[in-house]
Amino acid sequence: MSDKPTLWQTLLSVLSGFFGVQSERNRERDFRNGRPLYYILTGLLMAGLFVVGVILLVRWALSLAGV
Amino acid sequence: MGWKIIKTIGSGLGLTVYTATASAAWEVNLTPGVTDVSRSVFDLHMTIFWICVAIALVVFGVMFWSIFHHRKSRGAKAHHFHENTMVEVIWTIIPIIILVAMAVPATATLVQMYDTSEAELDVQITGYQWKWRYDYLDHELNFFSNLSTPRDQISNEADKQEHYLLEVDRHLVLPVETKIRFLLTSNDVIHSWWVPALAVKKDAIPGFINEAWTVINEPGIYRGQCAELCGKDHGFMPVVIEAVSKDDFNQWLADARVAEQAEAAAAERVWTLDELMQQGEQVYLRACAACHLPNGAGVPGAFPALKGSAVALGDVAAHIDIVLNGKSGTAMQAFRDQLSATELAAVITYERNAWGNSLGEAVSPAQIARLLTPSTGEAEQ
Ligand code: HEC
Ligand SMILES: [Cu+2]
Repeated sequence: MSDKPTLWQTLLSVLSGFFGVQSERNRERDFRNGRPLYYILTGLLMAGLFVVGVILLVRWALSLAGV
Repeated sequence: MGWKIIKTIGSGLGLTVYTATASAAWEVNLTPGVTDVSRSVFDLHMTIFWICVAIALVVFGVMFWSIFHHRKSRGAKAHHFHENTMVEVIWTIIPIIILVAMAVPATATLVQMYDTSEAELDVQITGYQWKWRYDYLDHELNFFSNLSTPRDQISNEADKQEHYLLEVDRHLVLPVETKIRFLLTSNDVIHSWWVPALAVKKDAIPGFINEAWTVINEPGIYRGQCAELCGKDHGFMPVVIEAVSKDDFNQWLADARVAEQAEAAAAERVWTLDELMQQGEQVYLRACAACHLPNGAGVPGAFPALKGSAVALGDVAAHIDIVLNGKSGTAMQAFRDQLSATELAAVITYERNAWGNSLGEAVSPAQIARLLTPSTGEAEQ
């Protein structure tokens, strides 16, 4: 129980899910000790941030183009 | 051995370059077009094409080299391992970089394409089944542009000409070196107005107005088509643009106005039955035959026969009404804006006296002109 994934590790795991590559060692750690709910919540939060990021990117591109 | 492979790959590259040059001559490639936007679309297309070629060469090159170099007859032993995070990260990051590198110029072109501001000329384009209507909004001029390929070429009874199905009775005349804004909409179903030389392709949707723009650099004739399946004659509603100098454009506008006045004057004079029948046949073949067929027999279940039709042989007022105002909810359109008074009178007379229909009476252009005027007045208020 002591090696429960930390918040930071959960975040990294979710990000590697976004990226599409995860090491086998981390995957085993997550599946052995992690709780699904934390990953789902972090995932939703990250998805929201991703959408905001895309919006900002488009705004920035448009402002560069002078629109 | 390795040297030989490099040579093989090299000649493969040479071959690709060669076929690309040759394909430009066969016109299978995208055209560079005649506007700055079409030029940058073309450049984007070629850049991305060559990036894809380079990727293919690298990936397949490494693959074939590995297969060849590590073949069994040379005693190669498969190395058994599972996953390698580093390799996976690399082959994910490289495509991301390539995609972003392509997205940067593509975004710049897209932004340019959508910038319809500061246009000097507005042309409204309306899709109809199956023709285009052009409204020069600042010049109170509008007309329909119909396919002009003769029916006998379509039915294989005559040889097909060079611009088969890409020719119309009235060109969309536009000035060069002028920013022109197109406002696209439709009268019935979704069409799409597409002219490759301008790199403009935009949907014409009923109830919506889409915008596009162009600045044509070179005078010339540019042809295009409807690019959204819109029914039976989708392939028979081409676009023909005639780009002319600014002076010629102004001259053309003036001429078009004179012609309109002459039309109106023609409607006032007395027409003989023969004259009306002659003109009526032309109008009929151009505007009606697509549905009611050249011999007036129609298409059972879809387009009624006019030969022997109760309407064409019945009360004149009812006949005039359906041709002028159409029948809503059916493919029978209102022709009051599409044809002049003379053309309407001629085609109605023709229908009442052709293919064995023989009422012997003429509908006069003046009579139609009187019917047309009040509603035009209303529309202008
Ligand atoms: C896009 C197809 C289409 C075109 C083009 C078209 N029509 Fe029609 N027309 C129809 C249809 C469909 C009807 C039947 C409407 C209904 O359901 O009553 C019809 C009905 C008619 C009728 C009534 C016939 C009857 O017996 O009920 C007349 C007259 C007529 N059209 C004349 C014309 C004339 C004149 C033109 C050319 C200027 C023309 N049509 C072009 C589709 C077309
Ligand atoms: Cu169409």
